[in-house]
Amino acid sequence: MTEIQTKTKNQTKVKLVIDVIIFIAFLVALDPRSSGIAVHEWLATATLAALVVHLLLSWDWIVQITRRFTGRVNSQSRINYILNWLLFIDGTVLMLSGFMISETVMPFLGISLPRGFAWRSLHDLTANLFLLLLGLHTALHWSWIADTFKRYVFQPVAQIFSSNKRKDMTA
Amino acid sequence: MKALGRILIILVAFAVVMGITYGTVNASGSSSTSTPQFESGERPASPSGQFEGRPEGQEGGGGLMFGLIKNIGIIAIVVTLIALPKSVVQKKKRTTAVPTE
Repeated sequence: MTEIQTKTKNQTKVKLVIDVIIFIAFLVALDPRSSGIAVHEWLATATLAALVVHLLLSWDWIVQITRRFTGRVNSQSRINYILNWLLFIDGTVLMLSGFMISETVMPFLGISLPRGFAWRSLHDLTANLFLLLLGLHTALHWSWIADTFKRYVFQPVAQIFSSNKRKDMTA
Repeated sequence: MKALGRILIILVAFAVVMGITYGTVNASGSSSTSTPQFESGERPASPSGQFEGRPEGQEGGGGLMFGLIKNIGIIAIVVTLIALPKSVVQKKKRTTAVPTE
């Protein structure tokens, strides 16, 4: 295996782990009634850092599509690109409105912000939209998710079981 | 150095969107000046007057499961509605691309 192939394989594994973490974190953070406000706010804030890593790992794709967007790009990549921008904008507005109505993170940091009901409404609206966009984002990357899970999770687990079975047969 | 530059670009993009949103909300006059304020440390109720959040530490055991299942359910529906027809179309394309003997 070449160095580039090993690097790509490792990068894919890291991406998978980070994406799963972000996905679970968002699922928990998107339901503050059950997780509690403190968990909701700190988890969402921490996810911001994971989101930056997610963007860094997809950087080459972002640059490539940005350069070729008006040129020759297949329709799926174009839809994906637009959807990703919508997700980014919605996520950022969601984060800002969350900070504006924060009860835990901002007071903890000693920051007091002018707050109003508009921020609350905006937070609810963007949160609902975010769930929908997250679903679309997952759907458009479903083949990658399924392939990567199969290659790096299911197949290695199946191999472990099959090797254990062979050991038992020979013993 | 390369990664640092990229992080900076991402943070600038975050800041631009946040700045535009902050300016728009403030300019619309529906933020701190014209709408009722609430005390620091209190979460505002929604405009309908209903408190949608749950105070910390009072969540029920079944609540977490319901919220998570609901969110997973929504995502699962969206994924099924998009990924399933897409894979069917791709399979059809593949079968038509292979010449029959």
